[in-house]
Amino acid sequence: MAIRLRNFRNLSLLLRQHPYRTHSSSTSSVNPTEVSHFEKLASSWWDPHGSSSLLHQMNPLRHDFISLCLDSQPDPPPARERKFLDVGCGGGIFAESAARLKETERVLAVDPSSGVIAVAKEHAKRDPLLSKPGRLEYQNKSIEDLAIPRSPDEQFDIVTLFEVIEHIDQPASFLKSCFPFVRPGGWLIISTIARTWTSWLTTKVVAEEVVRMVPRGTHDWDKYINEQELRSFFRAQEGWGRDGGLKSQGCIYVPGLGWKMVKESERWGNYFIGVRKDLDR
Amino acid sequence: MVFGNAPRALRPYICSSCAKSLKLRSRKFATAASPDIYDVACVGGGPAGLSLLTALRSSKATSHLRLALIESQDLDRVRKWNLPPDQYSNRASSLTPSSQAFLSQIGAWPHIDTSRVQPYHHMRVWDGLSSTARITFDSPTPEPAIAHMIENQNLTRALLARLDSLEPISLLDKTSVREIHLGPPPSPLTPEPTYLNLSSYPHVTLSSNQTIAARLLIGADGPNSAVRTFAGIETRGYDYNRDGVVATLKLPSSFAHHPSSPRGVTAYQRFLPSGPIALLALPGPYASLVWTTTPSQSALLKTLSPEDFTAMVNAAFRLSAVDLNYMFTLPSNQLSEFQWRDSVHPSTASEAKGEIPHLISSVQQGSIASFPLRLRHASSYTTSRIALIGDAAHTIHPLAGQGLNMGLSDSKALAEAIEYAVCHGADIGDEMGCLDRYKGEVWWGNQRLLGAVDKLHWLYSVGSGPVVGVRKWGLRAVDVMGDLGVKGWLMRQAGGL
Amino acid sequence: MAHTLASTRLFNLPASFRFTCVNLARTFSVLNRPPPHYAGHVPLNVFERGAVAAGSAIMSLLNPRRGDLIAALGETTATPYFIYRLRDVMLSSPTGRRILRDRPRITSQTMSVTKLRAMAENTVGRAYVDWLDREGVSPDTRDSVKYIDDEECAYVMQRYRESHDFYHALTGLPVFVEGEVALKAFEFANTLLPMTGLSIFAVTRMKPAERSRFWRTYLPWALSNGLKSKEVINVYWEEQLERDIDDLRAELGLERPPDLRERRKAMKEQRKAAKEKREKMGGLMAD
Repeated sequence: MAIRLRNFRNLSLLLRQHPYRTHSSSTSSVNPTEVSHFEKLASSWWDPHGSSSLLHQMNPLRHDFISLCLDSQPDPPPARERKFLDVGCGGGIFAESAARLKETERVLAVDPSSGVIAVAKEHAKRDPLLSKPGRLEYQNKSIEDLAIPRSPDEQFDIVTLFEVIEHIDQPASFLKSCFPFVRPGGWLIISTIARTWTSWLTTKVVAEEVVRMVPRGTHDWDKYINEQELRSFFRAQEGWGRDGGLKSQGCIYVPGLGWKMVKESERWGNYFIGVRKDLDR
Repeated sequence: MVFGNAPRALRPYICSSCAKSLKLRSRKFATAASPDIYDVACVGGGPAGLSLLTALRSSKATSHLRLALIESQDLDRVRKWNLPPDQYSNRASSLTPSSQAFLSQIGAWPHIDTSRVQPYHHMRVWDGLSSTARITFDSPTPEPAIAHMIENQNLTRALLARLDSLEPISLLDKTSVREIHLGPPPSPLTPEPTYLNLSSYPHVTLSSNQTIAARLLIGADGPNSAVRTFAGIETRGYDYNRDGVVATLKLPSSFAHHPSSPRGVTAYQRFLPSGPIALLALPGPYASLVWTTTPSQSALLKTLSPEDFTAMVNAAFRLSAVDLNYMFTLPSNQLSEFQWRDSVHPSTASEAKGEIPHLISSVQQGSIASFPLRLRHASSYTTSRIALIGDAAHTIHPLAGQGLNMGLSDSKALAEAIEYAVCHGADIGDEMGCLDRYKGEVWWGNQRLLGAVDKLHWLYSVGSGPVVGVRKWGLRAVDVMGDLGVKGWLMRQAGGL
Repeated sequence: MAHTLASTRLFNLPASFRFTCVNLARTFSVLNRPPPHYAGHVPLNVFERGAVAAGSAIMSLLNPRRGDLIAALGETTATPYFIYRLRDVMLSSPTGRRILRDRPRITSQTMSVTKLRAMAENTVGRAYVDWLDREGVSPDTRDSVKYIDDEECAYVMQRYRESHDFYHALTGLPVFVEGEVALKAFEFANTLLPMTGLSIFAVTRMKPAERSRFWRTYLPWALSNGLKSKEVINVYWEEQLERDIDDLRAELGLERPPDLRERRKAMKEQRKAAKEKREKMGGLMAD
């Protein structure tokens, strides 16, 4: 049996289930280095041509992917208003846009960095719609600090993890912490980057070093997770992704044209993955 | 200085580009009283503004937005506009198939009085100096027509009727804009929970002393747009030193236009050195005149008796440039001059073949008017929370009949950009989130069209010399190459296909 | 009938040209000749026109007395552009337009020489009739226009031809070759008709003394006056008959050239005197 490179990658995911930083005894997903890196970026978060420019440009595609997942459901939910939980919301690029949608009842957005949460709150004050009570709520917490929902009414229709998981040391346990927040029939939507030579070249060399569109040190290539790894992880979880409730879609950034959805590119570049909690959970 | 007054704690949270844009804007700020906030406020109730608001209201995705229209005229006059069947307004435009499709899409077409709309199927264009050089545009089948001639007021009445039939919007008519400024600067003190930062929102103070704020302020208020001035957007262009003379003309009753006539209906345009003269068919024996002339010529035309004016129009389509220039030197009695010249070189054969229009028999009383022609293009159509559409964004020479159509296609593109933004949760006043999409869609296309039309004007204003010959051969070549070449491109541009 | 007229025209040319022209006529337009636009009109196609132009140019150079050839040359070279331009010149002037409307003709019937002779000294009419008498010509020596298709332009050409004698009277240039060539140069500068320009080639037929006089005096006069004066085609001669001729010249911006006849007479006398002197001297020398 030839040992394929892919097997090594799967192995790494399994290994990450156990803390490999022997000194860390906390069960938090928060990595202090990561947090402080994003604190420094807080002030330029909402500058569309600043350090978060790529995130601003990617945001519409996030909505397209969510629509894709929702439209694929064999039993579409009744047209009721949706509740979003945005984990690692940063300055609130996605959270604000989710709160503005016609069909949204409520958005709760959390981030462990106090600086970016302050920026997010200040920016939300600029939009009268977002200032309606309960429409958009920010909390400076990590997912582990949130109270676990006790009933489906406290759960969320869509839980989003956009460009978050590649900054987490222990991704498997982090994902499991998110599971209780998804309502049965609801979706967990993730976007991240595959761990390939191509992504190393594009996200580390080109983006961070050459064109400097992404601040240096934002990404740690070792933490990238491949789509196949996540897929296997979710398949292994009971009560998730049945009956076509697992969707993924790759996207590529084309300078000058922005982000474009490209089939099959989830194998080597940026991608979205969505998984649905089974209805009878 | 806004940025300097913010306490140290807040300063890191205002990004540098926002600080820059705050500094560049007007120094005046509204007082603390919280204004009425609209999602889209449109200044200007002409075809562009009305079609934009109608498009937003008629689309499911955007129908929930809070809309306002600010118009200085009384909109009831627009609603009640009604002319008898033997009278036509002198402001009529040619609607391209894509404009028509847009009007159908937003549900305005059924409100149009189609008995006052004339489709035409052919266009004959020729050079006033080299009479043999002509170019013909034909629709391949009787349907669809190349374009439809419609009175502007017929269109605005229909748009308003459609808008009235949808969810109500705030119609602030008989109201003009007194002043526009940005909202108050961000509060330096710790803001209370209900505090709103509207410093980037345009606040419009109206003549009724009401102030409204808009997430997105639309400038559809014509060539001297107050919104554009507020936005600090410059325009480039020049005056053509030409006037456009318009009138409603009457042909002999036996030559009434019928949409179903076997040969179809033809529009005519002749390029004279001072400017083109166009005759566009209206229903029945009526036609709309658009004649580009020098200011002195248009001044003379407006003083002539109806018979002499009619003779000048006929002369402009039939006689040589030499004769026409001479007739412009006469204070009156152009009619006998025309009759003599027409008898020396009768044009009945050309008329029978449809190469030139039929003799005009009279002009509708009170319909002769003129307006100065100019070229203007805004250097940008958008800035933060501001978008320009229609004549506020661009002014074009009427020779290609594209002004109204450009305005409608601006509205369409902006409505689509707003719809995309709303469906993706973006702030519709945000440049990256919404307005850049609109700008990218239309600015370059309009720039090209303005440039092409401008060059056509200058090409045809050469009265003599080798350019005339080249022009003649060029026109012939364009005609011969047909759909494959330039003519096909021109038709596709005109048809918006 | 049109075909017969064409052949009548052509029979006056040398045999070789006649043959070529008739051949061309047969090949290209015999069966499809369009109907005439006016009495005497002979429609020609491009090739026929070119042939007639070339033939008449050469023949009239060989025999400048052939007025009909010069007429044919004038008509065939005036289209496509030049006669239209001249017609437009008339259309741009109020008087020119009146002429085109009224279409007056200058013939011995319309110009009564008795009445003209009775006019005062130095009037236009008197100068004209004096010149007719001096040169021994009459208003009827002009051919009708045949080869110009547009009826109005044919009239313009006819008017130009009939006014030619008035131009002689206006400038005072005599009717023999030297005078004619000088006048043709003036007309070329003023009307731009190609035939008038081509006529300058008749310089080759002039004697050396005449030629030098032409280059030195008359050509410069012709060009400068032709260009600076107003269009002579727009003069309504029938209305100007009783007007003082110097007044008309001043209005047109025209100066008379040195009187050619006087010059030639003076030169002839000078030469005669010099010859007599030489003979006297020669006789003496022989002694």
